[in-house]
Amino acid sequence: MLELIGLSRRFGHVVALDDVSFAVAEGEIVGFVGPNGAGKTTAMRIVLGVLTPDAGEVRWRGAPVDAATRRRFGYLPEERGLYPKMRVLDQLVYLARLHGFASDEARRRAERTVELLGVAERRRDRAETLSLGNQQRVQLAAALVHAPEVLVLDEPFSGLDPVGVDVLSGVLREQAAEGVPVVFSSHQLELVERLCESVVLIDRGRVLASGRIADLRAADPRRLVRVEVAGAAPGWARGLAGVRVLEPLPEGAILELTDHAREREVLDAAREAGEVRHFSVIQPSLTEIFRRAVQR
Amino acid sequence: MRGVWRVVARREFVERGRDRGFIISTAITLLVLVGVIVLTSVLGRGTRFDLAVVGEASTAMGDEIVTAAAALGIEVDLLEPADVAAAERAVDDGDADAALLNGERILVRSNPPEQLVAVIQAVALRERSREALVRTGLSGSEVDAALAQPPLPVESLEPLDARRRENAVVAFVGVLALYGQLFAYGYWVAAGVAEEKASRVVEVLLATIRPSQLLRGKILGIGMLGLAQLLLIGVVGLGTARLVGSLAFPSGAIGTVGVVLGWFVLGFFFYAGLFAVAGSIVTRQEDLQTTMTPLTIVIVASFFVGINAVQDPGSTLATVASVIPPSAPLVMPSRIVLGEASAWSILLSASASIAATVALVPVATKIYSRAVLRSGRIRLRQVLRAERP
Repeated sequence: MLELIGLSRRFGHVVALDDVSFAVAEGEIVGFVGPNGAGKTTAMRIVLGVLTPDAGEVRWRGAPVDAATRRRFGYLPEERGLYPKMRVLDQLVYLARLHGFASDEARRRAERTVELLGVAERRRDRAETLSLGNQQRVQLAAALVHAPEVLVLDEPFSGLDPVGVDVLSGVLREQAAEGVPVVFSSHQLELVERLCESVVLIDRGRVLASGRIADLRAADPRRLVRVEVAGAAPGWARGLAGVRVLEPLPEGAILELTDHAREREVLDAAREAGEVRHFSVIQPSLTEIFRRAVQR
Repeated sequence: MRGVWRVVARREFVERGRDRGFIISTAITLLVLVGVIVLTSVLGRGTRFDLAVVGEASTAMGDEIVTAAAALGIEVDLLEPADVAAAERAVDDGDADAALLNGERILVRSNPPEQLVAVIQAVALRERSREALVRTGLSGSEVDAALAQPPLPVESLEPLDARRRENAVVAFVGVLALYGQLFAYGYWVAAGVAEEKASRVVEVLLATIRPSQLLRGKILGIGMLGLAQLLLIGVVGLGTARLVGSLAFPSGAIGTVGVVLGWFVLGFFFYAGLFAVAGSIVTRQEDLQTTMTPLTIVIVASFFVGINAVQDPGSTLATVASVIPPSAPLVMPSRIVLGEASAWSILLSASASIAATVALVPVATKIYSRAVLRSGRIRLRQVLRAERP
């Protein structure tokens, strides 16, 4: 179990983290979500020892994390960084060696990792000659080359094309299946929903919610309805009593039903407005949970 | 793992060592060096003459001429053409600088080679004086005893050092090499730090190893490369001088190369931490020139003092500058090569350099650790005061 316990950190007058605690079990993939500037990167940097906390600590398997332990962690920083003039494979061998592997073993692992991430044919090229997407894959390879015990990834999906997203999702699932705790930050909440069982929701340095996504959904008391109506006048749902338009859709909306509003009445109103193509009672998506939590 | 800095150092050494720019510039340096040594040896090949001797009297005088010339540092090679006509041809073709015909006449093409002619005249005068004295009835041994007078002693007001000029040239080249090397490799440290910072790779590295390990590895790797390059230049230089048998090959040359290598090590490590700081406080590599300016000024000023010390190694300025750590690496070497530095002053200077380096490294590491992850404009005072990273 990777535990962040009561982490606090300020930069001058800015409170970046305020008593942040959460845990990631071995084999679990946790999504770390929150608005820009919420403190995600600061928390991750503290886990990796790049920053030190003002208070609190990080534990791995029950023991406080020190430099020797961290060398077995894998990290993808938000600000991607490779040596521009160094060849892809050489960089990975170098990083594996920094993580403590002997030269031969480091080379074997580097070869295997470029295979895994689909950049094997570029391994002799200088990093600066690669496309951004391929540089991103090499960056991920750098986080994985030493078979880390823990994976901490800051925005790993940003900049990847759909195929790259699938490759990375597969890699993260494999890592988790081998018992590695994986925590990653992302603004692509649909992706988080697909990949993670649990999330940690952070805003302004504080954890607003954390736990299984299913539990967070169940704890959300709102009744939501998704309606799609063809040929309806725009804003048809706005006048309905006890109904709030949560999110307009191209031909419809997600509606929140408050107080006495009934699903049946909304359906009737939709029928009057046009031809109903879709009507369903839905559970709040992670996006909805996120919006609600951050608004408070 | 301890010793992870070695992995860092190895990368610096290997990556930079196989950089095409580095290989080309090293090759050019070596070519220029070899060219200069060969050229000096050809042009500066002391004074050397070919003398054709014809007839018994000439041949007898030939050996004496060679001996007398050697005493003056002039080399004379003897040719023995069959007859006067052959000797004339040799002089006309330029195979001989002059011909001595039957011990009676000197033949040259146009302008007489003055030194050679002077030597021949002196020997001839002696020979003819001897013959004249023998004709007066003195015995041969009496004549020889009378003629064997010691030359007049030469006294100079200042102690004469025959190698002084050559040593000054060597010292100048040494100062020049040290200046170039300290600057180039110091710049590499700064640029390397700035590159890691600007490309953000430093965050990946610092998630794995400590800033002090990264900095130590970088400085040692680059320093080793600088030392290796200097050693290569020194060995090739000495080897070439040896091969061409250059007369401008002072016996102290090997010692000079040693002095330069030693002071490169002392100077590089003194400056490396400061260059690393200059690299760590920039956000873009373009700003490096600005943050390096104070270092540039100090090194250039020291270089001028160093040049000055070649001319006047005993001056107060040179003496003081040779023990102050920032200027010592560029001033002390010339004083050592020119024999102006006492053993204790060398020891004092080296100790001061090492002490200053030991004192600077923790401060430099501290600033580096704090600055290298920050972006934006960084003020030194702010970094020193700031909280830990």
